[in-house]
Amino acid sequence: MSEHAIGRSQGFNPGDVSDSDNYLKNSSGVLSWVFTLDHKRIGIMYLVGILTSFFIGGMLAMAIRAHLLKPAGWLFSNDAYNQVFTLHGAIMVFLFIIPSIPAALGNFLVPVMLGAKDVAFPRLNLSSFYLWVTGAIFFIAALLGSGLDTGWTFYTPYSTTTDTSVILATFGAFVLGFSSIFTGLNFIVTINTMRPPGMTWFKMPLFLWATYSTSIIQVLATPVLGITLLLLIAERTLHIGIFDPEFNGDPVTYQHFFWFYSHPAVYIMILPAFGIISELISVHSHKHIFGYRFIAYSSIAIALLGFLVWGHHMFTSGMSSLTTIIFSALTFTVSIPSAIKVFNWLATLYKGSISLTTPMCYAISFLFLFTIGGLTGLFLGVLSVDLHLHDTYFIVAHFHYVMMGGTMIAFLGGLFHWWPKMTGKMFSELGGQISCFIVFIGFNMTFLPQFVLGSRGMPRRYATYDPEFAFLHQLSSYGAFLLGIGLLVAGVVLVHSLFNGKKAPANPWGGVTLEWQCSSPPPFYNYARPPVVGDPYDFTGLGWDERAGNYIFLDPIVEPGAGVKPEPVEVPAHAGGQQ
Amino acid sequence: MIMTDFTPQLLADVNESFWFPKSASTFSDQVDETYMLVMWICVFFMVPITIALFYFSIRYMKKKGEPAESQVSHNTPLEIAWSVLPSFLLVWIFVEGAIGYIDQQAAPEGAAQVGVKSFKWGWTMDYGNGVFHPELHLVNDKPTKLTMRSSDVIHSLFIPAFRAKRDIVPGRYNEMWFNPKVFSEKVSDEELEAALKDAKENHNGTFDPGRYQFTSDGYRFFDLYCTEYCGRNHSQMQTVVVVHETQADLDAWIKKYSGRQEGQSPAEYGKLLYERRGCASCHSVDGSKRVGPSFLDAYGTDRKFSTGASGVADENYIRESILEPKALVVEGYQPVMPSYKGQLSDDDIDSIIAYLKSLSASK
Repeated sequence: MSEHAIGRSQGFNPGDVSDSDNYLKNSSGVLSWVFTLDHKRIGIMYLVGILTSFFIGGMLAMAIRAHLLKPAGWLFSNDAYNQVFTLHGAIMVFLFIIPSIPAALGNFLVPVMLGAKDVAFPRLNLSSFYLWVTGAIFFIAALLGSGLDTGWTFYTPYSTTTDTSVILATFGAFVLGFSSIFTGLNFIVTINTMRPPGMTWFKMPLFLWATYSTSIIQVLATPVLGITLLLLIAERTLHIGIFDPEFNGDPVTYQHFFWFYSHPAVYIMILPAFGIISELISVHSHKHIFGYRFIAYSSIAIALLGFLVWGHHMFTSGMSSLTTIIFSALTFTVSIPSAIKVFNWLATLYKGSISLTTPMCYAISFLFLFTIGGLTGLFLGVLSVDLHLHDTYFIVAHFHYVMMGGTMIAFLGGLFHWWPKMTGKMFSELGGQISCFIVFIGFNMTFLPQFVLGSRGMPRRYATYDPEFAFLHQLSSYGAFLLGIGLLVAGVVLVHSLFNGKKAPANPWGGVTLEWQCSSPPPFYNYARPPVVGDPYDFTGLGWDERAGNYIFLDPIVEPGAGVKPEPVEVPAHAGGQQ
Repeated sequence: MIMTDFTPQLLADVNESFWFPKSASTFSDQVDETYMLVMWICVFFMVPITIALFYFSIRYMKKKGEPAESQVSHNTPLEIAWSVLPSFLLVWIFVEGAIGYIDQQAAPEGAAQVGVKSFKWGWTMDYGNGVFHPELHLVNDKPTKLTMRSSDVIHSLFIPAFRAKRDIVPGRYNEMWFNPKVFSEKVSDEELEAALKDAKENHNGTFDPGRYQFTSDGYRFFDLYCTEYCGRNHSQMQTVVVVHETQADLDAWIKKYSGRQEGQSPAEYGKLLYERRGCASCHSVDGSKRVGPSFLDAYGTDRKFSTGASGVADENYIRESILEPKALVVEGYQPVMPSYKGQLSDDDIDSIIAYLKSLSASK
């Protein structure tokens, strides 16, 4: 128990964790990681994997922007450029963004937030990590083989005729799909069956709502990707004649198949980010989240509506006019739940007690960048305007604002937020804030000019371009280098904290979701007994301990309305409260 | 093809406004107006959101441990209001967009027709009566319908100045139409003369419209891009759009390209066909290896074929390679060339053979 604990109920204010209990130290050696079933260690392994992918994808992005400093191209031949932008996209989408929040942070947080000891199926969890590794190996094999030059979308008939390693890469994506399905399945079962006594659906932290919605999409949509990629492989090897017009196939069918997965996949990427932002905004404002139910329902609404709008990737492909117009109308419906969230987050800030910590700075960046990303989506939903903007840099800028300004920034914010919990170390607050500032400036400098490039008619995926676009391209490139430096600073701050960081207290930010009732880092069993669940956003019972840099629960957390401190239920958490 | 290691004095699609290239079709004003409508709606939301975001972040910044001024958890009427009210704006812009889209679908009756063939990595426009040319030539204020096909992968035809775009999917015909409202001006004869001379002396006779910002006939132009990724030279799959002031002007231009002109030798005309009909994107004339074998010293050489057979590249072989390109493919190359059957006259083929012979003088 911490000597600074002043709460009456010390059970809610854990102190330091002993080395024999610390999940990072209770066993050692490579094998203790390779064969671990501990969701926290699996989460850390995912984190290392996806950050490595992010680094590789990021270096490729730097190479792209360096190449585009000159209208005729600076670094690469056309062929090499096509491979670089394809790998940048494929690595970022399949290896980084899709697994980033659910697999790395989700694995660590879902059971801890539920007060459980682990996910429902720990072995499935480990196997999904190894599927991720296998998929990544296929991508590396494609990279080292004859490369890949199809774009991350593998559009036919280009992908069935190019002589690069399409089969290796698509098989990699196929395997990664299973990793994603297994993770989703695991979380659905975990959240359905392992919530602790007292945690009703509407007392779940919003991060869990977001994770749940994401998991539904993963389980329902990813199999379609698997089917599509298998058909693509069959078309390439056996010429079954479904996608390739040379064998009486239809290339547009491939686009329908592909986007039926890949559009929902956009929400696999962004929904968990919404979950993180809901936590960050509320905790660092020390104020109850505004409109909990609207936020929770809007996650589900996005997950379901996201299945109905895939056609908006194909407005120029020659679908019938009626189909095109219907898809345009449906597309606008998705914007409503996203807007609801932005308004609710703003209302949460209002009259809060805001601490401009590093995670909060990232959350504020997110709100600004994501709002731009969301609003520019309106231009693309409007049919006549999309005919002009389709496949130009406007699209590139739009989805980077959503995917990178949204998901990646939220992921970074979440990483800083839960870093003390995961590693037991505090990072340099100033360093983190500086990184956020550089990233924010660099990001806008990179992608704002691209909107103008797009509306002026610059097509995407061009290795060379007309000289009238040179100035904006160069501005964008210098912005990208600044962005790269900002991310590097963030990385240095985090790595530095591992070696020189102060010991983290149990609750450095003042959160009241269950993970803050665990020590930092948590013991390998998470909780000795099932924690008591209150309102996840009721901050009134917290006090600030200046000396320890820690927030403390002043009163025992009591179920609202119960009036008495409940006896801990003597049933293991993973039994879901059933005797 | 628009090459770029220079700074042109005049740029074809130089921007008239901050956001857009020149507005040159009857669609473009409508698209621009809708774009600006959406833009102002975005500003309407973005500005208050940004102000609120940064104002709240500073105004309510407090020392750690100080409680928040309010713990309000929801306000249902407010939340319903901000969920429902923006929907009306969405309906408005959806309708505007759909109307603009429908306008671009069916071409009016009596529209002029141009056939478009796209291939890796170039364009061939079919003006009827055996006249083919990589440039798209139109008449001002005359609706024109393009019937487009692709001989290999998906391409997409995009003319920024017209705000018009449509994918070209192999295995089907895709159509688009537009009505140009700005015609291309002609440069002075002296300027054209100087450019033609420069191209001949300094650039192996290859006239690059991007370098001079006018075509080899002296017209200013609008850019036409491929916007569906199609492989190696996707970014060079560009051509130009010239809008003639009158039908008579276009007819005169078409006549100029309707076959070998008086006094033109077959080899000279063959060179023009080589440049215009897409040969140049796959066959070099300097011996370098591209998608297909180089034409330098090609005529009369012994060829080994992928079938294992071998033979001499004589007149009959070249003719067969143009009409049935996949019949005998030189070893080491892919059978990817499209057939030109029905697209080249006997005189055209004869001219190309004569051009190949001229490149194989040593044989």
